[in-house]
Amino acid sequence: MEAFNNLMYGFSIALEPINLFYVFAGVFAGTVIGMLPGLGPISALALMIPLTFGMDPSSGLILMAGVYYGAIFGGSTSSILLNAPGVAGTVATSFDGYPMAKQGQAGKALAIAAYASFIGGTVSIIFLMMVAPLLGRVAVSFGPAEYFSLMVLGLTAVVSLSDKSLVKGLIAAVVGVMISIMGIDLQTGTERFTFGTVHLLDGIEFLVVALGIFALAEVFYMLLKGGGGKEQPRNAIGSLKLSKAEVKEIAAPIGRSSILGFFTGVLPGAGATIGSFLGYSMEKRLAKDGDTFGKGNIKGVAAPESANNAACTGSFVPLLTLGVPGSGSTAVLLGALLVMGVSPGPAMLVDRPDVFWGVVASMYLGNIFLLVLNLPLIPLIAKILDMPRPLLLSLILIFCMIGVYGMSFSVFDLLLLLGFGLLGLGMRLFGFPAAPLILALILGAIMEESMRRALQISGGDWSIFIDKPISMWLLIIAALSLILPLVKPVLKMAKARR
Amino acid sequence: MTRLNSNQIIALLLALLAVGYLAMAWQIPTFPLPRPIDSDLFPKVLGFTLLGLAVLLFLEKPKAKDVPEALDPEEQQQPLLLRPWSRVVVTAITLAVYAVLLVPVGFVLTSVGLVYGLAAYYGYRRHWINLATALGVVLALYLTMTRVMGVYLPTGVLPI
Repeated sequence: MEAFNNLMYGFSIALEPINLFYVFAGVFAGTVIGMLPGLGPISALALMIPLTFGMDPSSGLILMAGVYYGAIFGGSTSSILLNAPGVAGTVATSFDGYPMAKQGQAGKALAIAAYASFIGGTVSIIFLMMVAPLLGRVAVSFGPAEYFSLMVLGLTAVVSLSDKSLVKGLIAAVVGVMISIMGIDLQTGTERFTFGTVHLLDGIEFLVVALGIFALAEVFYMLLKGGGGKEQPRNAIGSLKLSKAEVKEIAAPIGRSSILGFFTGVLPGAGATIGSFLGYSMEKRLAKDGDTFGKGNIKGVAAPESANNAACTGSFVPLLTLGVPGSGSTAVLLGALLVMGVSPGPAMLVDRPDVFWGVVASMYLGNIFLLVLNLPLIPLIAKILDMPRPLLLSLILIFCMIGVYGMSFSVFDLLLLLGFGLLGLGMRLFGFPAAPLILALILGAIMEESMRRALQISGGDWSIFIDKPISMWLLIIAALSLILPLVKPVLKMAKARR
Repeated sequence: MTRLNSNQIIALLLALLAVGYLAMAWQIPTFPLPRPIDSDLFPKVLGFTLLGLAVLLFLEKPKAKDVPEALDPEEQQQPLLLRPWSRVVVTAITLAVYAVLLVPVGFVLTSVGLVYGLAAYYGYRRHWINLATALGVVLALYLTMTRVMGVYLPTGVLPI
């Protein structure tokens, strides 16, 4: 009953005309940006942050949440029509979505993606409503030692679950923490790594790094890979109608993948990408016609699409209840919230219920908007894919520049943005994952603060991190998350020898 | 002498960065009041961790995805300024020039120049559409930021 009353309170906020507009605008902008090949939810979120300056925090988060799940959905359109996923979380959708489009069933694939996303998102919100307050109650007992260990786990999980080298992921995370502690140390007032310039006294704004490492680096990468002038032909859309038999066929996979996706999203490090692959492979194994997966099976579109949207909503659980993001995208969301003056965490449910319940209620509306927007309007929105690439690239560049300048009014930050863009390009070319860097950038300073507060409480005794059971277990899981990927190939080799 | 692979070159650069970082960490002044840990401890831990990771990276063999893919040979045949790496360098220089000119020349002129100029450079030949898009988007951004959101943007040489 309490949850119902809270949800009604959330609806009273989400249904305010201005917030309704933000839900719609967020979902629409997310869908459009997510659709553009190369620009994923992190770029979409980073590009939209400047719009939240001066906004009420609940409105700002409602807008950003819409952008996030809109971008996840938008990615499926380019996956299906172009076989060029705009978002990593929709790669699995292209396995069967693109073959369907080649068979003249692009409309059907898009409709399945829309229904699956809607159900995945909606099921996941119900779970979010049930799980988040429970986790919030547990998190109230967390002290600085537990928070430090939780953040270590968040970082190691993101590193170990990325498909790139473990060492490179850890390097990216360490560099992210290094950037985060630049400027004046708030506990002692000491300057650290400012190189004697006043521009770095407040450290480096996370938006400069996020836009540089993701959006600007993506433009550079597209320029390098010949994205300047070449256009990719896209498949015609065709009918969006589904038969009764087809609806029946996809119902169970959507239900299963929605639940799986939600719990994958809650785990730190796992998110829409892993959720969608897990959903896809689970359905492939369960299906009697598993051999037709990859050749245009409708269940191969339904499963990853419901899982990725469910995971996207699931990833809000650690962000909103613990204040610790579990992925690059939610790290950018946390950064946006901090800019708006809100610190998510267990206290937020009590101190700012308007933000928490407002965004939960807005997700219901956002999912309805996504469905309404995507079914009738998708042929129209898909025309964005026909936009000349040279014009698109130069527009993304100006959005990045204005985003940074509008926040800091600093030419120095524009030059820093350029530097981070080139760093992001280098990282991409040489296989360094960017998500750990951005997550570490957001968590680094808070991590140091928690560590120092914990040590202050213990009088400098480091055993505080293992004396507290929750902290100890979190550190053990963090260590295992790093060790297991190293041990796995050795075990495989030993098994193969036997 | 055997040639260093990409991981080893990056590892050496990172090791240099870590050493420089550690040297700076050692120069962080001590806080006058005694505290369990001071401002320099965390940076020192980070510096040594990066150094250790650089050693591990030096020993790690690069996988196929860790090495940049070969660029399109057709693109490499183009005039120097239009080759892939030239496009990146020209774009980076243009952005740096944009940053420097933004305040003295103004947001509208520099931004229209940036959007129009880069789109034309990347190969967009419909100049009127290019100009109209650049003007439309930049003016819309300018008016939204200055009139709706109350964010100041430099006017420069234009009286708006």
